[in-house]
Amino acid sequence: MALSQSLPGGQVQRRDKFRKYMRAFNPTARAQDVIEAGLVFEDLHRSVYLNLAGRADLEPGSQQLLVGGIGSGKTTELVLASRWLREQGNVLPLYIDITSETDLSGLNSGSLLASFGIHLAIRLLESPGLPKDSADRLNALYGKIKEYAYGKVESVWVSYDDEDSGQEYDDRDDYDDAPRGHYTTRTIPGKLQPPLPALLRDVRGIREPLERLLTAAREVHKDIVVIFDGLDRLLAADKFSAVAYQDFRLFRSLDVSVLAAAPISILYGAGRSISEQFDRVQHLAVIAGGHGRGFLQSVLSKRGGYELLSPTEADSICEYSGGVLRDLISLARDAAEEAYVSGHASITPSDVDKVVRQLGTSYLRGLGPTAVQTLRDLEKSKSFQVDMPTNIELLVTRRVLEYTSTDFRVHPALLSVLSKTKG
Amino acid sequence: MPLQDSEKALNNLRTDLSSLLQKPTRVFNLQDHPFEQLGESLHQPGDDVVILAATVDPGSALWSSLDLIRSALERKGPIIFWLSADCVPSLSEHAPNIRSFIGGGIFAAGPDGGMMTEEDRQSRLQQLAEHYQLTNDEIVSRALSGTLPSEPHFIEWLVLLGRGDLV
Repeated sequence: MALSQSLPGGQVQRRDKFRKYMRAFNPTARAQDVIEAGLVFEDLHRSVYLNLAGRADLEPGSQQLLVGGIGSGKTTELVLASRWLREQGNVLPLYIDITSETDLSGLNSGSLLASFGIHLAIRLLESPGLPKDSADRLNALYGKIKEYAYGKVESVWVSYDDEDSGQEYDDRDDYDDAPRGHYTTRTIPGKLQPPLPALLRDVRGIREPLERLLTAAREVHKDIVVIFDGLDRLLAADKFSAVAYQDFRLFRSLDVSVLAAAPISILYGAGRSISEQFDRVQHLAVIAGGHGRGFLQSVLSKRGGYELLSPTEADSICEYSGGVLRDLISLARDAAEEAYVSGHASITPSDVDKVVRQLGTSYLRGLGPTAVQTLRDLEKSKSFQVDMPTNIELLVTRRVLEYTSTDFRVHPALLSVLSKTKG
Repeated sequence: MPLQDSEKALNNLRTDLSSLLQKPTRVFNLQDHPFEQLGESLHQPGDDVVILAATVDPGSALWSSLDLIRSALERKGPIIFWLSADCVPSLSEHAPNIRSFIGGGIFAAGPDGGMMTEEDRQSRLQQLAEHYQLTNDEIVSRALSGTLPSEPHFIEWLVLLGRGDLV
């Protein structure tokens, strides 16, 4: 008999209960998987995804940004938008996580277009019952776009008469009319080359094949919407602009609607001038307390959190998450792990205290004295100069949370640790 | 902790992880391993344990690049960052997406080579003994006779007793 089965207290049942809970609270799980598992509370952000998708559907060529801090739920909203558009039946949404396509540090003009072209071509080639002549045309376009995206190796004739060839011509060669040279290969890099630095190239090179591809796509689907996720990893607004500006201009001229995740720095300082170029900039703010706290608890409930959490401990986790969704999920998971290894039947106040302290300490690590003073000043006087680059960094790294355009607060978990340190 | 102690602690961590999780553990030095190969290395295989180590701050450029390829870091097996203290500010500032994934899971290793003090070790052994209603000798005896299940708690128990050789 296995040792565990001979133990008192239903040890196996306890472990299974905790394992089930932990599966539902994975802060790094793919949004698609979490949605398919039915664990997402879709009304959390008052269905932002519906507004984004609706506008993309109604206004072909429109361009919208979804801006939010790290862990705010942007990917989930974009995936939900994609799903809604697909359900409408007359729109082809293409969700592209650009970070899984290429190394963003090498991203430059043309890369978004290249990625879009690849996805569109593959989707069209997968259409059931595609006539052969259509498939041949699409394959030819696909080939051109692939060359643009990934580069190509081509043969180049090098004449022996070329002084740079380094080749010598033998006067005694019997084949006097043979071509005087040889073939060699030359590699032309493409736009999606991780991680080598990409060359700056004109986006016009991809326009013609994309236009023809879109013509073919619109024979089947009325409109095309491209959803770019991952661009928010370009933390600085100017980097985002360098990557997106030219590509987004071409998307607009091609009447392709665009939804894109963008960094929170877009909302402040120099980033504002970039956000003005878009039809809508939707801010996914942090979920505030009060009425908002009911929403956070709904997130926990949807994932079965109350199997191990009492209402009091759930409230505590909601409060100390600050309304940051990933932190909410992390705290709920870590508290369960702490309860399990401590031998508790469910999550206790001491379990929650410990993981809140851990999270707060992790936010505290690496903060210099100036930044700590800024946080103390914010807590004391509610004063925060949001356009200062050092303060934008505090927003980006989630030490400071934005509840509205004027309501900024220190992350509650960090605040709980700060209050215990000297200051 | 001093570099020599850190290397010893890293080797101990590698051994402990392999024992506890019953999987091989690979270590990649972020300063030495070619960055462009890192994404591929993490997925060949993708289910073992990986430690990404840095004894000095590898610099903002590497952290930013690592943050940008965060999706490439997603794999079946766990990833543990083993970093010197001076790396943490850089990671927080230049790789905030990775830091968000880590959440509260940042722990400081003590100069004694482990995160657990002797008091902690004894406390944990007592917890396990009370929970399973078994003594340390009984656990060792069952491990020697091959009747101890290879579940994480029992492996941990043996490691805490210094009997990782019986795993």
